[in-house]
Amino acid sequence: MYVFLIIVSFISVFPLYWMVSAATNKSAEVISGRLIPGTYFAENLKNLLANQNVGGAFVNSVKYSVILTLVSLVVSSLAGYGFEIYHDKVKDAVMSVILLAMMVPFVATMIPLFQMFSTAGWLNTTIGFILPTISTPFLIMMFRQSARSFPHDIMEAARIDGLSEIRIFFQMFIPTMRSTYAAAMTITFMNAWNSYLWPKVIMTDATSQTMPMVVANLTQGYVTDYGMLMLAVLICTLPTAIVFFCLQNAFAEGITGAVK
Amino acid sequence: MKRKILAALLASTMVLSLVGCGGGSDAPAADNGAAATEEAPAAEEAPAADSGAAEEAPAADAAAGGSTLTVWCWDPAFNSNAMYEAEKVYQKDHPDFKLNVVETPWEDIQTKVTTAATSGDLSTLPDIFLMQDNAFQKNVISFPDVCADLTNSGIDFSQFAAGKTAYSVVDGKNYGVPFDNGAVVACYRTDILEQAGLTIDDFTDITFDQYLENGKKVLEATGKPLISMQAGECDLLMMMMQSAGASLFNEDGTANIVGNDTLKVVLETYKSLKDAGVLVEVNSWDEYISSMVSGDVAGTINGCWIMASIQTAEDQKGNWALTNMPSLVGAANATNYSNNGGSSWAVTTNCKDQALATDFLASTFAGSTELYDNILPSGALATWAPAGDSDAYATPNEFFGGDAVSAKIVDFSTKVPSNITGVYYYEARDAVAVALTNYINGADIDTELKTAEDTVNFNMGG
Amino acid sequence: MSKPKKMTLSRKHNLTGWVFLMPGALLILLMSFVPMFRALLLSFKTGVGAAMKSCGILNYTRMFQDTVFIQSIKNTFFYLIIQVPIMLIFALILASILNNKNLKFKGLFRTMIFLPCATSLVAYAVIFRSLFANNGIINLLLVKLGILNQPYAFLTNVWSARIVIIIALLWRWTGYNMVFYLSGLQNIEYSIYEAAKIDGASAVQTFFRITVPLLKPTILLTAIMSTNGTLQLFDESVNLTDGGPANASITMSHYIYNMSFKYVPNFGYAAAMSFLILILVAILAFLQMKVGDKRD
Repeated sequence: MYVFLIIVSFISVFPLYWMVSAATNKSAEVISGRLIPGTYFAENLKNLLANQNVGGAFVNSVKYSVILTLVSLVVSSLAGYGFEIYHDKVKDAVMSVILLAMMVPFVATMIPLFQMFSTAGWLNTTIGFILPTISTPFLIMMFRQSARSFPHDIMEAARIDGLSEIRIFFQMFIPTMRSTYAAAMTITFMNAWNSYLWPKVIMTDATSQTMPMVVANLTQGYVTDYGMLMLAVLICTLPTAIVFFCLQNAFAEGITGAVK
Repeated sequence: MKRKILAALLASTMVLSLVGCGGGSDAPAADNGAAATEEAPAAEEAPAADSGAAEEAPAADAAAGGSTLTVWCWDPAFNSNAMYEAEKVYQKDHPDFKLNVVETPWEDIQTKVTTAATSGDLSTLPDIFLMQDNAFQKNVISFPDVCADLTNSGIDFSQFAAGKTAYSVVDGKNYGVPFDNGAVVACYRTDILEQAGLTIDDFTDITFDQYLENGKKVLEATGKPLISMQAGECDLLMMMMQSAGASLFNEDGTANIVGNDTLKVVLETYKSLKDAGVLVEVNSWDEYISSMVSGDVAGTINGCWIMASIQTAEDQKGNWALTNMPSLVGAANATNYSNNGGSSWAVTTNCKDQALATDFLASTFAGSTELYDNILPSGALATWAPAGDSDAYATPNEFFGGDAVSAKIVDFSTKVPSNITGVYYYEARDAVAVALTNYINGADIDTELKTAEDTVNFNMGG
Repeated sequence: MSKPKKMTLSRKHNLTGWVFLMPGALLILLMSFVPMFRALLLSFKTGVGAAMKSCGILNYTRMFQDTVFIQSIKNTFFYLIIQVPIMLIFALILASILNNKNLKFKGLFRTMIFLPCATSLVAYAVIFRSLFANNGIINLLLVKLGILNQPYAFLTNVWSARIVIIIALLWRWTGYNMVFYLSGLQNIEYSIYEAAKIDGASAVQTFFRITVPLLKPTILLTAIMSTNGTLQLFDESVNLTDGGPANASITMSHYIYNMSFKYVPNFGYAAAMSFLILILVAILAFLQMKVGDKRD
């Protein structure tokens, strides 16, 4: 079993290792496939900082992603909970309709959405960045599916104790579904952090660029400096990896017996 | 428990933002005059969700009489650098003038322009943006409201290479100020050629037949192909086509694929090179660059901007030489000159001060040898004829064996036959690429060309 | 007496449910359905760029004559049929292994297996292209082991290009799906596993008799998500093979994108093709829900 896991982990991590070693090598060495870490890291970092506004983009990305993740989790889990716990025929039907919303490629709805946002004056703003993805069918469905395993007897007991419905949600559901929240948080943060197509349409100022945009900027020249590019990519990957690492225990090892 | 998770997330993001701030504050210190670094402090302080401030920027320009122009372009080492240099040149006479250069990849510029134009809100567009030459016709015709007509703006277009200006002329009107040179050069590793008993002279003013023969000698002596090309991309095809002044479209905009003799010659030439092993196909652009700089092939044929990539192989300094491309055999009007890539500046209709924008372009990219001298070290070669006479262009380039390559390329660019890009350029290009792939793999050339023409006609029929 | 009271209670709960789901549902209505409706209107129009005129269902009949689009549908379904089942099964197996309480270095393994989907697309594309390059590591290895005589051009041959895309997808998304299973497994009492072990059930039996049935809601979620994701597949096609060779690996979304932003923009046609994707995903999701979405 360990052998299997080690092989799988190796395959998973190898490209990442490649990225790290690429960030320490010269561009020519990177494309010739050099796998050993080099000594060019400082130079790549210097070039990157001189070339792109990495600091600003990083701050923007953190700001947008954190706000989006927190708002999105509350709104979507509330909806998913509402759909499942109080389910009836009408709500189930509404849920199916909502699922439709994720099935149209974004390319098709982007232009109407852009029209709405430019009329509202939301270009280059945080609200413009986050609003389209605060409530996603995917998250709602995820919370709906997990609410299915929320024990009904707890709810009944809580109701008899006189807890209001909203307090049951905040005081019983959220703690019980810790693992779902942690998983959802990881995924939402990752999607927010990596989102590109929408931001690139509505963010037209140099000051509102995000990390994926910085990475894209680096690939556009007649000459691509791969060492520098991979360093930028590394900086762009680390936050998600760290968030995952911090949260993984929370979603993979729920404390058994906390709520029964 | 939720609080704990939140705390973990917040803590980690705080640490990260500290790291980020550290990076940001370093940025101005390491200022090489490159793009966007001056924006760093502004970005750091930008308050959250401040729609007012973001909206304000373009509006403020207009109110201030337009002493600031916003520009979209995409390569800090190349075209944004050129814009900053142009700003310096223009500021000498106009001290109040300022540029706001927003680095935006070409595909993103295209997406933004398409989105803005289709939704009918052009207010998000900058004053000036850089456009790929191949996309010019498509954009001007699809979105007639976007680009301003520059014909009578006081810019002297006759001083640019005719083949270059043609990209941005629609219905006899000029919509773009030509920027970088895409004249095709053929670069060779002289040390590899030497092993086959050849010199750069054996590759100058030759035909593709001679190129093939030379290639076989090199292959035999060194085992190395002469050239690598990205499979499924038809850059070389298009260069060959233009070298004979041929296009995939007729003057009236209809597809010219079936019965296009030059195209057939081009496809056959390509296949014979590939079959002989003189041309090797690689999977991707990275691999293409890598095959050149690591010496797996003896040279390449591409737009002159490829030199910047070749010159990253510092250890090969002096081993490279540059000349013109081979000419087609059996095609009418065959020459040794062509063009690939390159871009031009467009002024948008959203620009509140057209006069300023055009005057800026007229006195820099269409009027300043000083500017072109300043940007020459970054590899930006002019298509503006007076620039080529400057001393800077006669400076020998040690990487290319002490040859005055800049002057040579400017000379090439004046000889490039002009062709018709066509509005449906990308459609036709992709269709022909499919035909080429299938033809190389043994399909019948006429059937494939028929399919390609059908595909293009289908797209035009939408 | 108790009857009317119960009525009001259930009505009260019904209302609470609506209040809870309203913010989310309204946002989806505004941010998804309003633009979708506009796109639907657009799909009955034709024209270049911003100048559009009505054309009835022409865009819908047109796509069945579009050989490139038909090719892209075939490619996409090929990816769907091969990749999604393998990925989900693999993710399930990994999740159940990593859920084992006695396993050492769980956190590290989990993070490593999750990492691929956190990797930026740019890096991952560059890495995969260089791995499968003519002089890349895969070729080097195969030649050294004597399996191949000379390097094979993986990305420029029809079937190998498609397979590389599938490998890339598996690499990138298996860990992602594993996350959902890991979190879903928390709702299964660990004592059930211990009891099964005492009863002498093998690992395989436990997997099929306990894990799979109890994870059904999560499996349904991931199945619908993956189906949807695959039918809208875009990144891999654009970045790894650029749809090639000769459109052999192009996906529907990639073609729609070309139609909108690379070619002379034809948004009416692009919207019509997008709605075909909607219909296809909806049918598949409906079938999956029929099979998997029962409250027992």
